[in-house]
Amino acid sequence: MQKRTMWLLLLLMVVLGAGSMKAGDRVFPYAYQRYSLENGFRAILIPMKGSGLVAYYTVVRTGSRDEWEPGHTGFAHFFEHMMFRGTKNYPGDVYDRIVTEMGASANAYTTDDYTCYYMVVARENLERVMEIESDRFQNLSYDETAFKTEAGAVYGEYRKGRVNPFSVLFEELLNTAFDKHTYKHTTIGFEKDIKNMPNMYDYSLSFFRRYYRPENTVLILAGDFDVEQARKMIAKYYGNWKPGYVAPKIAPEPEQSGERVKEVSYKGRTLPIVAIAYKNDAFDPGNRLFVAADVLAELAFGQNSDLYKKLVIREQKVQFIQADNSWNRDPNLFVVYTMVKKEDDIPYVREQIDRTVARFRSQPPASDVLEETKKRSYYGFLMSLDTPGHVAANLARIVALTGGIEAVDQYYQTLRSITPEEVQQAAEKYLQKKHRTVIILKGEKR
Amino acid sequence: MKRTKRAMGHIFGLGIFLLLLNGLYAGERMVTLPVADDPTISFRILFKVGSQNDPAGKEGLAALTAALIAEGSSKEHSYEQILDLLYPMASSISYQVDKEMTVFSGRVHRDNLEAFYQLLKELILEPAFTEADFQRVKSNQLNYVEKTLRYANDEELGKEVLSEFIFEGTPYGHLEEGHVSSLKSITLEDVRSFYRRHYNRANLLIGLGGGYDEAFAARVKADFHRLPEGEPSTVPPPAPREIHGLQVRIVEKNASATAISFGYPIGIRRGSREFYALALATSWLGEHRNSSSHLYQVIRAKRGLNYGDYAYIEHFPNGGSRRFPPPNVARRQQIFQIWIRPVPNEARLFAFRAALRELKKLVDGGMSQQDFELTRKFLKNYILHYAPTTMLKLGYAMDDVFYGIKGHHLELFRRYLDELTLDEVNAAIRRYFQYGNMKAVFVTDQAEALKKALVENQPSPIQYNAPKPEEILKEDQEIAAFPLHVRPRDVEIVPVEKVFQ
Repeated sequence: MQKRTMWLLLLLMVVLGAGSMKAGDRVFPYAYQRYSLENGFRAILIPMKGSGLVAYYTVVRTGSRDEWEPGHTGFAHFFEHMMFRGTKNYPGDVYDRIVTEMGASANAYTTDDYTCYYMVVARENLERVMEIESDRFQNLSYDETAFKTEAGAVYGEYRKGRVNPFSVLFEELLNTAFDKHTYKHTTIGFEKDIKNMPNMYDYSLSFFRRYYRPENTVLILAGDFDVEQARKMIAKYYGNWKPGYVAPKIAPEPEQSGERVKEVSYKGRTLPIVAIAYKNDAFDPGNRLFVAADVLAELAFGQNSDLYKKLVIREQKVQFIQADNSWNRDPNLFVVYTMVKKEDDIPYVREQIDRTVARFRSQPPASDVLEETKKRSYYGFLMSLDTPGHVAANLARIVALTGGIEAVDQYYQTLRSITPEEVQQAAEKYLQKKHRTVIILKGEKR
Repeated sequence: MKRTKRAMGHIFGLGIFLLLLNGLYAGERMVTLPVADDPTISFRILFKVGSQNDPAGKEGLAALTAALIAEGSSKEHSYEQILDLLYPMASSISYQVDKEMTVFSGRVHRDNLEAFYQLLKELILEPAFTEADFQRVKSNQLNYVEKTLRYANDEELGKEVLSEFIFEGTPYGHLEEGHVSSLKSITLEDVRSFYRRHYNRANLLIGLGGGYDEAFAARVKADFHRLPEGEPSTVPPPAPREIHGLQVRIVEKNASATAISFGYPIGIRRGSREFYALALATSWLGEHRNSSSHLYQVIRAKRGLNYGDYAYIEHFPNGGSRRFPPPNVARRQQIFQIWIRPVPNEARLFAFRAALRELKKLVDGGMSQQDFELTRKFLKNYILHYAPTTMLKLGYAMDDVFYGIKGHHLELFRRYLDELTLDEVNAAIRRYFQYGNMKAVFVTDQAEALKKALVENQPSPIQYNAPKPEEILKEDQEIAAFPLHVRPRDVEIVPVEKVFQ
């Protein structure tokens, strides 16, 4: 029953597996090229011969982080929907028809730091895809009626997700942990703002003008294509895109000065869920302690950690426990999640987590377990790269955070040399009580 | 045209895939898919036993047994040790239980093949079935039924209730995970006994794919030959009750939106030409998670009522979490189903009527030549996304064995797409689709008001937040008045806390 656990993971950040085994080795197994245009548009070309397929991932480096104006939470995601409403050259129904005729696997998604539009198509359709994709990024056009209709679909998306207790928990966690930064709200946004979206037509035009620009967009092309032909097509179809990106005015988050604890109730029945979040750093593959914190999450709270074995397997106090050191453009959160079987055990479980934190802050982990964690990351990453679509999908976040994929190998070089002492230093640096936010979600009793 | 065909033959290495699979059923108990340059090896160990084999009063036993194998100890290693050993490989052993089959799957880098295989083999052939593991796994399964499914995912709840509604009184008639009361009654001895009875060679089908060599495949076969021969776990095919009129089950809960699923049993399975004709029509009506779906266009794109609307002629679990149909949920009895994603409560009846009306239009009028051609073109390429990896190809090939398909489902699908005519598709629609006799499930608030509206055939006008084109408003009037014939005795209201009890 994978379905029992699949939904639990939906809200948790997907972190690229990482790690390296041999000094000096490149970890990313495919040769690739970078190609830039004068207008700032960038493309990463990863030929993978033989599959017959091309994965076409357009990464716009704008997500809910860029929703800095009050009352506009959820707008990046809403705008993602509007990108399917067509242009004068290819109205929405014509665009849909072309995509349908190609039998493309096509969709889009929005995160905190980026929005990704993707298609996986047969290689002979590459130029057709580039024609329609470059067109909508430059010439999007929709009327107010279409805009308001789509707002209904977005509200429907919010409603379907809202019954999940993790949605409720995550919204409260971000809202409590952040004061100023736009990470304060989730990507789907606050309900009051979603309700008001139909009135934001003019704002949507401004959103497009400011953020959907070549300097803010990176194309990942992975699969069965000719690199030289692809470069020519990119120049042809994206070369005339006018630059004009306007950076969002995102307020930096002030340093947190004390622990925050909040209880939230869920309208339904659920086992209690506890989230304990600490402020981390922005993603930086050269920041040794940030990379060490990734390892720390696994060592302290992963499936072969002492705490997991104690609470999940031996004592059976919790259904699961896991941690995530999120990768973001700005400092975000290192979060420990656990689902507790009995409400009375919440204090005990929190105490056990505290003890684990204290242990990692006071002593380095065993070096053999650290090496196994690196090995796990290495194999996890390699095994994730089995199709053009998976390669592009696995690179999208790192492309959004850094603008390229060089950070993959940089990250692995750092990880390779992380020492047990650095894991301890990461725990000391990040897992501080004064930087902590605790959210306890409880369901209805009856 | 020739150029296109040649190019498509290479998609996902399809040509190579088909070549390798031809004649590769090395005995009935093994499906192999060697891919020499694949650095990983994929395993799918399938037993033809599922929730249909649960004894009465012990519903959920097949699922609990599989969970305890995949997430428990072996005689050689404790569960803790197994997690330790799997950890550096970044591999795991997962399981899936459906009505007719249970499959354990895992994928490993070739560097770690021996160590991984040792664990996989141990877990399936020599499970320890300890009391501590049993309590842990049972508690997880109980939580899923009692809390998660009831409260955290209304769409999946609606689909599972519909399945029970349609198949009640048959071996398909209960949730795979069981009910709260049946789960609570299951003992560790029940699990041991179920394992002894059903985990045998007669039920076994081994799937092996990727970068292994012949000697390894022979070893796997020999190792699993250690299972007792046993008897096939045969269960007569389910015979769902006939449905007369529109029968409705309303699951009442505190919800601001309504999840709707409806359908009826359908007597067709993959492999026959008619199945593919119907699959084409279903794709046009409601291709899963795709804007090419006609229902999606009518309900979401034009009217903005929800996130999507789709149709199926094969079981498609966890539709909210996946884009393409998963393998190894093969069934002898399928249902035709329409899934309307949550709509505002005030639009629930309108959305239901809109979907029913579109179904009626399809049944009465058939597909147009234009829609037929477009959908055929779409599917020719789109179905190739179903199985891009060795693991998925393997799963599809194993389902071919279940369905007795000589050749391969996706290959047949593409061939028939070339051959089918519009007349054939419309004949299949007339033969298998209907809109008069079906069961519907609403997960919603204010159930009595919905019941009243249904049995009184109350009109359900809709309002928008923006002006709409005249043709949509005109159509809305027809939808709002679309006749519903529902007898009061055919509407049942069930409080959510009673569902799966």
